[in-house]
Amino acid sequence: MEKQMNMENRTRSATPAIAITNLTKRFDDFTAVDNINISVPPGSFLVLVGPSGCGKSTLLRMLAGLEPPTEGEIAFNGKVVSSGRSGVTTNPASRDAGLVFQSYALWPHKTVEGNIEWPLKVAGWSRDDRARRIDEVLKFLDIERLRNHYPAEISGGQQQRVAIARTIGPRPGVLLLDEPLSNLDAKLRVDMRSELMRIHRATKATSVYVTHDQVEAMTMATHVAVLRDGRVEQFGPPDELLRTPQTTFVATFLGTPAGNPIPATREGGAFMFGKTEMVSADLAPGHEKVQLLYRAQDITVGAREGRPVVKATYAESAPIAGQSMVTCMIGDLRLTVMVDGFYRAEPGAEIELCFLRDPDAVFNTDGQRIS
Amino acid sequence: MRRSLMGALMGAMLFAAAPAAAQDLDSMTPEELYEIAKTEGNVTIFSLSSRIAQIKVSFEEKYPGIQVEGVHLNSTRQIARLQAEQRAGIYAIDVMYMSETPIVYRDLVPEGLVEAYVPDRVKADVPEALRENLLTHRLSTRALMYNEATHPDGTPITNLWQLTTPDWSGRVLIDDPTQRGETLDLLTEIALRGDEMAEAYEAQFGEAISVDSDLQGAGEQFIRDLFNNDVVMINDTQTLRSAIGIISDGPKPVGFMTYSASRNNERDGMALQISNDTVPGAGILFPAVLALGKNAPNPAAARLMVDFLMGDDTPSGGAGFEPFFVQGDYAARRTIEDHPDAIAFDDLNLWLINPEQTGQARQRILDLVITLQ
Amino acid sequence: MATLASRAPWMARVVQSRDIVPLIMLAFTTLLVIAPLLMILFATLTPDGMAAWQAITNSPLSRNLWWRPLGNTMILGAGTAIGCLLLGGFLAWLVVLTDVPARRFLAIMSILPFMIPSFAAALAWSTLFRNDRLGGQAGYFASNGIPIPDWLAWGIVPTLIVLIAHYYSLAYTMIAASLSSVSGDLVESAEMAGAKRGRILFGIVLPIVTPALISGGMLTFAGAVSNFAAPALLGAPVRMQTLSTRIYGMVQTGNIERGYVLALLLMLMAAALLYFSDRFVSGRRAFVTVTGKGARTKRFALGRWRWPLFIFATLIGVITTIIPVIVLFASSMAPRPGVLFSNWTLHFWIGPAGTSIAEGQAGIFRNPHLIDAVFTTIRLGLTVAGCAMLVGLLIAYTIVRYKASPYTRILSQLSFVPLFIPSIAMAAAYIAMYGTSLGPLPALYGTFALIVMAATANLMPYAVQSARGVLGQISADIEESARMTGAGAVRRMAQIVFPLAMRGIMAGGILVFIKIVRDLSLVVLLFSASTPLLSMIAFNYASLGFMQFANAITLVILVICLIASGLVHILQNKVQGWKSK
Repeated sequence: MEKQMNMENRTRSATPAIAITNLTKRFDDFTAVDNINISVPPGSFLVLVGPSGCGKSTLLRMLAGLEPPTEGEIAFNGKVVSSGRSGVTTNPASRDAGLVFQSYALWPHKTVEGNIEWPLKVAGWSRDDRARRIDEVLKFLDIERLRNHYPAEISGGQQQRVAIARTIGPRPGVLLLDEPLSNLDAKLRVDMRSELMRIHRATKATSVYVTHDQVEAMTMATHVAVLRDGRVEQFGPPDELLRTPQTTFVATFLGTPAGNPIPATREGGAFMFGKTEMVSADLAPGHEKVQLLYRAQDITVGAREGRPVVKATYAESAPIAGQSMVTCMIGDLRLTVMVDGFYRAEPGAEIELCFLRDPDAVFNTDGQRIS
Repeated sequence: MRRSLMGALMGAMLFAAAPAAAQDLDSMTPEELYEIAKTEGNVTIFSLSSRIAQIKVSFEEKYPGIQVEGVHLNSTRQIARLQAEQRAGIYAIDVMYMSETPIVYRDLVPEGLVEAYVPDRVKADVPEALRENLLTHRLSTRALMYNEATHPDGTPITNLWQLTTPDWSGRVLIDDPTQRGETLDLLTEIALRGDEMAEAYEAQFGEAISVDSDLQGAGEQFIRDLFNNDVVMINDTQTLRSAIGIISDGPKPVGFMTYSASRNNERDGMALQISNDTVPGAGILFPAVLALGKNAPNPAAARLMVDFLMGDDTPSGGAGFEPFFVQGDYAARRTIEDHPDAIAFDDLNLWLINPEQTGQARQRILDLVITLQ
Repeated sequence: MATLASRAPWMARVVQSRDIVPLIMLAFTTLLVIAPLLMILFATLTPDGMAAWQAITNSPLSRNLWWRPLGNTMILGAGTAIGCLLLGGFLAWLVVLTDVPARRFLAIMSILPFMIPSFAAALAWSTLFRNDRLGGQAGYFASNGIPIPDWLAWGIVPTLIVLIAHYYSLAYTMIAASLSSVSGDLVESAEMAGAKRGRILFGIVLPIVTPALISGGMLTFAGAVSNFAAPALLGAPVRMQTLSTRIYGMVQTGNIERGYVLALLLMLMAAALLYFSDRFVSGRRAFVTVTGKGARTKRFALGRWRWPLFIFATLIGVITTIIPVIVLFASSMAPRPGVLFSNWTLHFWIGPAGTSIAEGQAGIFRNPHLIDAVFTTIRLGLTVAGCAMLVGLLIAYTIVRYKASPYTRILSQLSFVPLFIPSIAMAAAYIAMYGTSLGPLPALYGTFALIVMAATANLMPYAVQSARGVLGQISADIEESARMTGAGAVRRMAQIVFPLAMRGIMAGGILVFIKIVRDLSLVVLLFSASTPLLSMIAFNYASLGFMQFANAITLVILVICLIASGLVHILQNKVQGWKSK
């Protein structure tokens, strides 16, 4: 808690590296980005996470200067680079930002070296400086032997490295990454993740990283913004989002495994799930219907004395670090629970779920946190 | 190009300085014109014939110091270009040598876009009708032609109306009158000669003609009957010639084309001959005229060029006329002899068109032909 | 990294705003295309013009002046487009995506027909198929006892065949350029999915090259619709008129307003058609195949079909290329125009002057203007091709990248219009408009610049369509990543977009080159220098009645085109070294 306070103080006192104010983007009658406010201090690693179509890529493109905002402002280090009101949009290049494209967008007619060199040339670097910098980034990304290859001749992972090398070449103050790992296989993705962390540490560039993969968000971010339908659902450090999700959406989107919101209705002095009494109604006075958030580790298979038990249908299970992550269904409701050891059952078999602890949080029917 | 622009400027200045100059120039002798033309330095002529290249050589030889810019353009293009230029206030053309006179008299002459010039020297040699307005240089033909080898005893068509009989169904060739002005002129002339056509009809069929109610005269009836008799249209001159003229077995069609098509008979193994004995007429004579562009930049050189093209007093017309001296064409200047292998001008059974009249009647005939196609 | 934009914020706004670039291009197009178009329109608003509207749209003449020619034109246009796409698409597939033998050879064969003027193909057709409708000598088949019915000798069927034979190389060029950017991955992934070859072709490859198919279809359609020689030569004997022969005829017989009205109506029809094809294209997702990941071309193994398909493709090439060339060649050697295959002489090529042949005219190689004309022609061809491709690239770029702007659609339609403007009208409009100084523009009368301008406008559709086909396949990411570096629009164009689109641009350039070196009607009206062009020399000879010389010149032009496209072919392979490895 104290740490969090510190961070907020710092954010307030220092000029934010990126400050997004009331940012809105409309395409004809479709609102892609809706009144977003985010700011992060220098050196942060901001991850924009959300399902497809949540507006995260549009937001990134506005940060890059590839799209002008309809309303609101973006400021880098206190300087307004995009403003919907004045219509001013600073040229992508003069915002001191670099963008790594999801498709890598390497120039297919230039060699690896040519791809890295060109932005430097455009920025007016001298020949010597360019040569030195190219060597540096090639080495930094361990792609020196690919120097004279064309993009079509190298693998996807290598192309990814070239794309990053090209972007960090001119030493941008802000590094923007658009789902850079989505095209890689699982193993390469983990490797590249740590590689990106290393690059972030080494370049100290404030980074904005767009992904739909919450694991990437949780592992890499200093700040996470969960986006949904063009709005920020919740913004904060990853642990805070995990610990105190403000909405059921955040709770179900983040964490491995994600949390389980369970609908419950007040009956007498308790909230009931179906016919099972879950918890005392004092938890949320004045609410008739709520959603109770249970962590996966707070639910298990097999009845325990004195704890609520409901019946569910087994769907699947996956072993994780000595435990089993079991997915099961109650009607249309999908629950993920943890069982010690290796657990497996016939798909479709009826099992008993036991709620070990009281709910972590209570949300109203709209998904907003009550307590 | 700079040169001709300069020329245009100089010409314009000259023109502005001396408004009466044109009249004076018109009555000057070639020698006097040459003196002024030398200061102009060049002359631009648009010519319907590519033989203008030869004229360039002989003219420059005869009149050193004057450079000829000879542009080979068909008449329609000459007219279009002149109109466009003058609309833009550009006066760059000195002399135009063109046919399509019905359009010239309809679109250029009334607007004053071209001016007539008849050198005094040749006035007496050119029949009045050929120099009333623009000066005619030579007369070309569009006439009924047949294959002399197939019909050694003379033309199979003694009366134009035979072309409308079943015997000649699908066997009369013509270029598309909606595409070729000369052919349209021919049909127009036939339409204008309604009385003669009516007479010929009676001679052919032994009864008076009854003309459809929507048509005016026997000539228009002939056109309708000709098209309804499956006249075949061809757009390729070469094909038209060989279809009628080639020497080979079997029946041959007849058709309308220029008489001068017969001049290469020997070379091409053909036997084209004009059907001069056909009544009431075998076709038309139409003029190619020489005109000065309005505000011609080199007015003296322009006149000198016209004078040169009209030829000298020799029977061949000399260097100025000779290149255009083709068998089957006829010089307007009657001192120049007709080609020895061609029918003499006076024996021709062809109608000389009146371009202004033709111009007025042409539209109606064109529309008639369009409905018949 | 301080750029223009930081110094001049309005610059940044210009680059960002989605309408301004299309508007600039539209203004530019206005100068080149709309202005002459308006002149034509105004010419039809005079009393004579109104009478022409009346005659064409609502009079007893309408049927033969407008409706029937329109019907024929549409049949020819649609038939040619379909035929060309099938034939050109097949050859492009064979050359680019299969392991057919002698691919280079087939590639060259497939672009040849467009270099051979369509009148030569028509001439070849009638040499073979002419029947006794005209009397005189019959064609090859008829004289060998094979009766040829009228419908096969004259009219819409042979015209259609000749047009397809002439224009399919246009479709080939567009589709081949586009196919060569189809990534091998896509094909392989389809193969992995177990799709059969035909399935891959129709299910994967064709949809990807849809933009090129549409472009090719529209161009061949427009080409066929505006073609004059084939319907004029093959249609007249059975009284078939198309709008192009009608327009020509109306201009030729002094009814220029009627010609203009027909041209305007034709443009309207074409615009409507374009509108729907645009709708059709934008209704589907545009496919982007040149992505930042580069692409390798994957070739199908044809297996036992390798040789049969090769022979089939060669046969197409021979029929559409070699036969017309032989006929052209023969007609440049035969002293008698009707008898093509006997008594051959080289006189028309190299004979001395003053002999009894050809009224003493020397062979073309003794024509003192020939060498000059060759160079003037090449200079004109290169300049126009360069200008047209530059303009085409800019317009195509605007069309592809600024899809959202409503002006883009107008631009896209306008870029097609010049194909339908009769060249006599185009030239006249250019003289009238740009002959005198116009505001800041100097007077261009009689200058090379005016010819280049008019020819550029005239051939713009070829340039725009070929550039559009290629640009449409370059992913926006690639260019945006260049934008991120701060490279200005010109630099991005020159160093990123241009090299990637090079292949298609050069293919378009060669089309423009071929068109302009053969062109007569537009150039002859604007050219007044004393050094003639080859096409004008050919016209001179033809008007003297010596088709042999004219055909010999046509062959010289053909050779120039061949060399030019050979060079382009070599260049294309050079600049795309990044692909072929």
